Order: sequence, then structure tokens, then C-alpha cells
Amino acid sequence: MSSQKNNRRVIMWNKIKTFFSKPQNTILVVMGLICTFTTFAPIIAIIEDTLAIHPGTIDANLTGKVSGYTIVNYTDLFTSSVAKINLWNPLLNTLLLAVGACAVSILYGGLFAFLVTRTNLRFKKYLSSIFIFPYIMPQWTLATVWKNLFDSIAVTGNRDGVLAGLLGVNMPKWWCSGMFPSILVLGLHYAPFAYILIGGIFRNMDANLEEAATILNTPKWKIMTRVTLPLIRPAILSTILLVFGSSMGSYPVPHFLGLTTLSTRYIEINDRRAGQASILAVIMMLLGIAIMYFNQRSLKSRKSYTTVTGKSGQTSVINIGRIGKTLVAVILIIITFFTSIFPIISFAFETFLPNPGDYSFLKTFDSSNLTTKWWMTNENVTENGMYGQKGMLFNEMIWQGFAGTMLVSVACALTAGILGTLIGYAVSKRRRSKLAGYVNSVAFLPYLMPSIAVSIAFFKLFSGSINLFNTYWLLIIVGTVKYIPFASRSSLNSMLQLSGEIEEAAIIQDIPWRKRMTRIIVPIQKSSIVSGFLLPFMTCLRELSLFMLLCGQGLILSTQLDYFDEMGLYAFSSGINLILIVTILICNALVNKITGASLDKGIGG
Amino acid sequence: MKKFLAIILVVLMVLPLALCGCKDEKKDQSDVQKIIEQAQSMTLEELAKKAIEESNGKKFFGVGNSSRGKSALPVFIEYLQTIDSSYTLEFDWQQPKNNKIFDQLTAESRKTTGTYAMTLIQDGNQIESKMVQTGILDTFIPKEWAEANEIDAAKYDGYLALQTLNKVFMFNCVGTKTFKNCWEYVAKDAHGQFMDIDSEIVGKNFLYMLTQDKYAKYLKDAFDKLSDADKAYFQPTIDEVADTAKDFELGENGKYALAWIKLWVANYNAVEDDGPICQNLVDVSAKDQFGLLVYSKLRSIEESETKSKNNVKVAAYEDGYEGIGGYGYCHYLFVTDNSPLPWTACAFIAYMTCTQEGFEAWGKDMGGYSSNPDVAKKNEELHNHAQGGYEDGENKYPVKNDRGYDWWVGDGKLVLEDPEYCAKVAFTVGSWIETLDKYSPTAEE
Repeated sequence: MSSQKNNRRVIMWNKIKTFFSKPQNTILVVMGLICTFTTFAPIIAIIEDTLAIHPGTIDANLTGKVSGYTIVNYTDLFTSSVAKINLWNPLLNTLLLAVGACAVSILYGGLFAFLVTRTNLRFKKYLSSIFIFPYIMPQWTLATVWKNLFDSIAVTGNRDGVLAGLLGVNMPKWWCSGMFPSILVLGLHYAPFAYILIGGIFRNMDANLEEAATILNTPKWKIMTRVTLPLIRPAILSTILLVFGSSMGSYPVPHFLGLTTLSTRYIEINDRRAGQASILAVIMMLLGIAIMYFNQRSLKSRKSYTTVTGKSGQTSVINIGRIGKTLVAVILIIITFFTSIFPIISFAFETFLPNPGDYSFLKTFDSSNLTTKWWMTNENVTENGMYGQKGMLFNEMIWQGFAGTMLVSVACALTAGILGTLIGYAVSKRRRSKLAGYVNSVAFLPYLMPSIAVSIAFFKLFSGSINLFNTYWLLIIVGTVKYIPFASRSSLNSMLQLSGEIEEAAIIQDIPWRKRMTRIIVPIQKSSIVSGFLLPFMTCLRELSLFMLLCGQGLILSTQLDYFDEMGLYAFSSGINLILIVTILICNALVNKITGASLDKGIGG
Repeated sequence: MKKFLAIILVVLMVLPLALCGCKDEKKDQSDVQKIIEQAQSMTLEELAKKAIEESNGKKFFGVGNSSRGKSALPVFIEYLQTIDSSYTLEFDWQQPKNNKIFDQLTAESRKTTGTYAMTLIQDGNQIESKMVQTGILDTFIPKEWAEANEIDAAKYDGYLALQTLNKVFMFNCVGTKTFKNCWEYVAKDAHGQFMDIDSEIVGKNFLYMLTQDKYAKYLKDAFDKLSDADKAYFQPTIDEVADTAKDFELGENGKYALAWIKLWVANYNAVEDDGPICQNLVDVSAKDQFGLLVYSKLRSIEESETKSKNNVKVAAYEDGYEGIGGYGYCHYLFVTDNSPLPWTACAFIAYMTCTQEGFEAWGKDMGGYSSNPDVAKKNEELHNHAQGGYEDGENKYPVKNDRGYDWWVGDGKLVLEDPEYCAKVAFTVGSWIETLDKYSPTAEE
């Protein structure tokens, strides 16, 4: 009896040993545990907060207690006289914003992708590089440029922007702030997603299918709707999922453009309705989980397209005519000038204005209406709008923030990159197992959750007994969790392209796993894997929504930028924007030179 | 495998609850409170010596609603260096936006030793309920301040205010429009620029305070001075809110306050900060625009082709002006209960509240009035804010001639924040304000 028991134990032990002898299994178990904790623990912390009583807020007032638990936050948020203001209107706006941003990004990015990949358009290389600039820049930069351009005393009632001030043109109210510009700005910001994803399919699409339809005398519109669009459907779905999740949780764009969404309402009511604000965050998370569900369904449907997205037998370029190829290129150059180049010029110009938004120079061309004080002031002065800040070249806070941003970005890129690569590798090796499916999903979930909701959840979790508030550690942990999907998707896609025989050959030669990874697998898919490191780095550099609740304003540049923008010190915020953009461009160029990887090859994984 | 995963999940779900567990209520005085007790009987110089002993070569973190703490710290360090020339102190001063200071201090309070040594904070209502009652912040009353105000520090149960700051109604005077009555700010199509009450909560306290008898009467008196046509425009709103005023047990003029509040919320144009409001108003293009903003923001204006301090006027300074002239609120000073440098924090607080040099960061501009009468007097002697707009004997910028605290709380009819009253009406008047439709430029017909 006991020998039978012993045998069973030995068998079990051997099974465990065999299981863990495969690196992919060990990785899956370890990463499964880590991702489960980092994904679910914050969610539970925030759910707990929705039930907690907060001193000095409405739940304390309604219950007459200063601590303990209650469901009053739920009943009050959903049923009180302010439910429409605090919940339903922001929810509706959030959904409309997310849907609108998806539509704009797909239409603009998709059309751009089509023109660049499937036509004989001129200046493709330039256009392709410049198109991703809005994604590189912090998302609210276009929003501030929009306000600088279109605000007017007559319509928005605060000040004249460039158009009203110089040309006397007053744009209508719906154009200046609210839903329309928010959709447009977010759509433009995320259009590079659509460009990369849809462009990837266009590039590899077998033109034989379209040519066959042409030979059969199918009308062009029918070819587009029946052949081309169905082929890019998976990319459109992926874009929708990525853009929807990201737009839904955007704080700065609706905030700057005067639209009330769940994320802006969270900030607004948090002081007196802390528990109810947490419910808003939970709702955003639930929407993220719903997106996850649709994502998985779309992934399943995408399987049927894998033959199409593989190596194409033939690609063709549509001739849009001698004039057309130049005319369309010029139109695109003009549009991308306003979305990509103009903001940079505008930021640079803003740093030389005597007062924020003071365009006297453009009216007089008198150089005395320009100043270098925002850069060169080397003392602590409060006059002339400096508010005790030194000029940017001498401002220790800004350069410390820059160092902090680099630290967080490099650390997030390395940890997210390494962990994501391992997840991608392990999932690809055991892609039919439930464990792999679980790890893949749970690692991807934070990406689909709105940044601000993730931020709130981690704030609740790490401001208790384990207190990491206002430390680089917390930013690095949150950034890593949020950006692992960049690397895991990038890695998974590249690993799936690798034939198993390559690694099997090495296994037969008894080459250890570490060597197989560093000498064979990683070098072969170097470009994709580096993209998986590059994307977290670039995204982290200008991330605000994810970090704004987790630290004071001084720790990193993006929170400083937000602070200066809020204060109306646009010269400083513009200068920081410039610093960030130049840093990203230099890093992108360097990595591209060294490894061949670049941002526009990796977006969306 | 499934069971294993289930157990792991349960453990992981319970863990954060344990991590978020609340700490025990404090029964005894904390270490910082003990230090404060000693510090309250010490002179500034004695405190300075303690501070030098405690913080030499270290880093001091402060957090506040005013950016000028950053300017005050180097002067304080210079003062300490006059006692010990080898003294050094690095510092970092943060100014969180969007009411984040309360979240930040709450999160910091859960650390055994916090990051911030002290804070300079506004909004008496939230300070009381979230910071003081919860033991996150401690009040320190400097000996010299208590003497100047003729109070007993040990028995004093108020907060220590650094200064009263005023937000005043200003209007662009490039056009012909002037503002002679505070009801004009809530007239049809009047969209005053104001920091959003959901972003800067002291703005909401301003609205709460209007319902207090004294200020409701100001509004009633101003209403009585309106023309019949104007009265007829406002009367329906006043009648509409009369029952609500009764429900809230406001005084006899409470309905005038509620009507003004309702119209203000429905009309004001929210701007992210007082700085941009000031920049907007001084612009030559901002004809007939007005706003309620921190008076001292005028210091940030650099004269140019399109912007000038002479493009704006303070409404309350105009002859024949009727009604409230603005809003006064305090910047309070506290030591954090887990302060890493409590002696230095106390010394810094004493320096700011008991010496003109310490108050200089705020005192050099108009619109901020020290809570210490001795310091306020010295400051005015030094800076002569009453003639702040004079340059080379010429009254170049009349808008900068500050008439002083006494004038503002008297003739200027400044509405002053009372934390206790704000806390009392926060969930009656406050909840009612939340139900009001706010103005949005894009939503208007």
C-alpha cells in the first residue's frame, strides 16, 4: 500500500520535474502568477475602495460614519439626482469619444496605409516617417495646438487664438471644444495604429485576389467591399480594439478640450465622492474587460486569414496617375504638416513669446516682442510670469524630471521587453494549452484597461501598508504591467513565424535553453523583439494618464508638462514637449541604425 | 491544476485587502506632536538651532497650493546660514493641481516616515475633515505669532494661516463696458472667467460662503440697487430657489445667495488656472471680458503690443460699485504627522509667519496679507502696495494699487472663507450646487 503511495508520489514528482524541465512551462507558471497578481490585485483594491467609507466625503455624510464599509456609494451614484451628471452623461460621452476616435483613426490611417502601400504615391518614405509623429507626441499636444489655433473671445470666451487674433476668423462652437475636436485629436493621435496594422496587411496582401476579380469584370467598388475590405478586417478589428481601449481612458484630451468623460469626471468628483469615483474607474475597467472579450473573438476569427497575411505571391501597385501621385502626396504633406510639423514649430515659437499666447510678434515683426527669458533666466524670480522658475536651460527640476523620465522609460522598456519576450516565446511554444491562453490573456488585459483606471487601481493598492506612492519603483511597476503587451504581442507574432525545427535542431545538439535563446531565436527575430522594447520606451517617455495619480509633479517630465500647462506656463510645457520629441526621435533613429527596428514597424505588435 | 490556480487566485485576491488595511487610531501624541508641543514655547532662533542640528546636509520636501514656497525656502536657508555658515539644505517644493494635494498627503501619511516635512495648503473645509480629524496634519503655532495675535498657543484651536489671499473681480477695460454691480456678473450672456469649482475647491467654498447671512445681505443690498428691468430679470430665479433656501435653513436673504450661485454656475466660463485667466483678460482682444481671479496674478504680465496691465480694472475700485468685490481665503501651514524633519518644518513655518523676510515671497506682491499683524505692517512699509502701480513717481498701472486688507474686508466687501461654515453646508448647499447645470461654451444655443 505504502509502496503504491510512494510510486504515485514518485510519478507525480517526475511529472512535475518533466513539466518544469521545459523552460516554456516554467515561464508560463511564473509569468502566470506574476501577471495574475499585477492584474487582479489592483482591481480588487479598487473594488474595496468603492465599498469603503472615506472621511470628509459623501459616503461619510450619508452613513454618519468615518470608517467601515457601505454600499451607499453605489446607490447614490446610480440613483441620486446627480446620477446623470456624474455617471450617465460621462459614460455616454466616453463611449461616443471612443467610437469616434476609432472611426477617425481607421479612416485616416487606413486610407493613408492604402495610399502608401498600394499606390505609386510620391514621397512615401517621408510621409511614412512623418505620419507617426502624432503618436510620438503626448496626446494632448494636438489638443493644445487646437486651442491655440481656434479659441476666440467671440466663441469660447477666453482669448483669441491664432486664427481669430491674426485673421479675425471665429470658428463655430462645436469646432472649438467638446466632442468633435476630442474625437479628431484622439483619432489623429491613434491613426498610426491603423496605418501600421492595416498597412502591414496591405503590404503582404496577395494582389491575385483583386486581379482575379478585375478579370471577372467586377466593378471597382465591389472589389473594394467584397475583396479588399474583408482582407483587412482583422487589422481594422485590432485597430478598433486598441484605439477604443486607449481613447476610453484618455484624460488629457477631453480635459483640455472641455469634454466630460468618465476619466475627467473621476478627477472632478474624487474630492467629495471618492468611493463613487472609484466606481467610475471600475466601470472603465469593465469596459476594458469587455474589449478583451471581443479581442479574443477577433483573434479567433483572424486565424482564418493567416494564409493571407503570410508571404504574398505577388503584390501590385495601383497607378493613381502622373498628376494624382504628386497631387495626393502634396495634400498629405500639407495635412501631416499640420498634424506633425506645425505642433513642433508652434512649441518652439511659444518658448520665445513674452507672455503665454502673446502673438504680438506676428502682428508687428518687432523682435522686442520676443524673449529668451524662458530658456536663459538663471535666477529664482517671480516677476514676468516666471513664478519662481529658472529658465529651462538652468531649471534643475526640469532636468531632474528628464533624468527620472529616462530612468522610468529605460527600466520599463527593459523589464516589459524581457518579460514580454519570454511570454511571447512560451505562449508560442504551447499555444494550444489553456495555461498559455490564460497567461496570454491576463498579460494583455492591462493594455486594454484605460490607463487612468490602471493608475487609480495601483494608487489604491500601493498607498496602504506597502507604500510606494511618489517613487520611481511604483512608476516602473505600473509601466511594466501596462506595457508588457507591447513586447508580448510583438514577440508572440515573431515567434509564431519561426519554425519549431530551428530550435529542435539545437535541442538535438544539446544546446542549453539560454544559449538557444541568445544565439538563435533572439538574433533571428531581433527586429521584432527590439520593437517590443522600443515601444514601451517611447510610450513611457510621454505617458501622463498612467502616472499622473502615482507621483508628484516633479518626478518625471510628463507630469511637469501637465503642471505647467495647467498653470498656463505654456512656454515651459512647450519646451518640455520639444525635449521629449527630440529625445524620442534621436532614440528611434539610433535604434533603427543599430538594430534595424523602428517605431513604425512595431506599433500594435 | 484548476484547483491550484483557484487557490492562488483566492490568495492573491485576499492579499491586497490585507495590504490596504487601515492603521490603528492614534491614542497618544505622535512624535511630531510632541516636538510641536516643545517648539511652541521656543523662539525662532531656538527653533533655527534645532533645525540646523536636524537637517544639515539633508533634503527638505515641501508641498503646497502656492508655488512660492519654492522661493521662500532659499531665503530660509540663508537665514539658517547666518547662524551656522556651514549649514546646507537641498529642497524640493511641489504644487499639485486638481485637489491632488489631499490624495498625495493621505497616501504619504501611510508611510512610517513621510516624504513631506510640511505643507502650505488651502481649503479649510477639506483640511478639517480629511487632514486634521484624521491626524494627517498637525498645527504648530509659533511663539512670536501667538504673541503678535495676542493668543495663547496652547489653547488656540484654529489653524495657522500664512496669509489671506484675495481673488477679485477684474474686467477688461479696452471697450466701454464697466461693471457697477455684482449682479452684472450673472446677467444674461455674462460669462466670467473662473477656475472650475470642481478643479479648485476653494472656488466652491466661495459659493458656500455667499449663503452665510453677512454675505447674503451684501447680495440682497446690491440687488436692491439694480434697475427695475434688471430686478425683473433676476426675480424669477430668486423666487424659484426660495423654497430651497428654506429647506437649507438659510437666513432671510439666503434666496438671493442661491439665485446668484445658480446663475453664476450656469454662466461662468471655466479656465484651468488663474494665470491663464489673467493672461486672457489683459489681452487687447478681450474687450468686455471679466473674471474672478487671484489679484497677485497681475505680476506675471509682461507689457507687450497686445497685453498690458492697463487693459484691466478691479471692479470694486470703481466709483459707485455695489456688492461683493471678491473672495478671500487662507493659505494654512501644517506639519505632517510623519514629518521627516519636524524641527526644520517648525522653524520654516515660524520664519514665514514671524518675519518679513520669510513672508517676502508672498509679501512682495499685492493681494496677499500676512496673518501676523507685525509682519503685515512691516511688509506694507517696505513694499507700499497701496502705490504698487507707481513707477518713478508716476501712477503707471493703477490696477496694481492695492487698497489693503482692511479696505477689502470693509468697503471692498470681500467674502471671507470660514472653514467651519463651509463644512456645515458642504452637503446641503454643496450637494445642491452639484445638481446645477454648468455653463459650457459648446452646449449653448
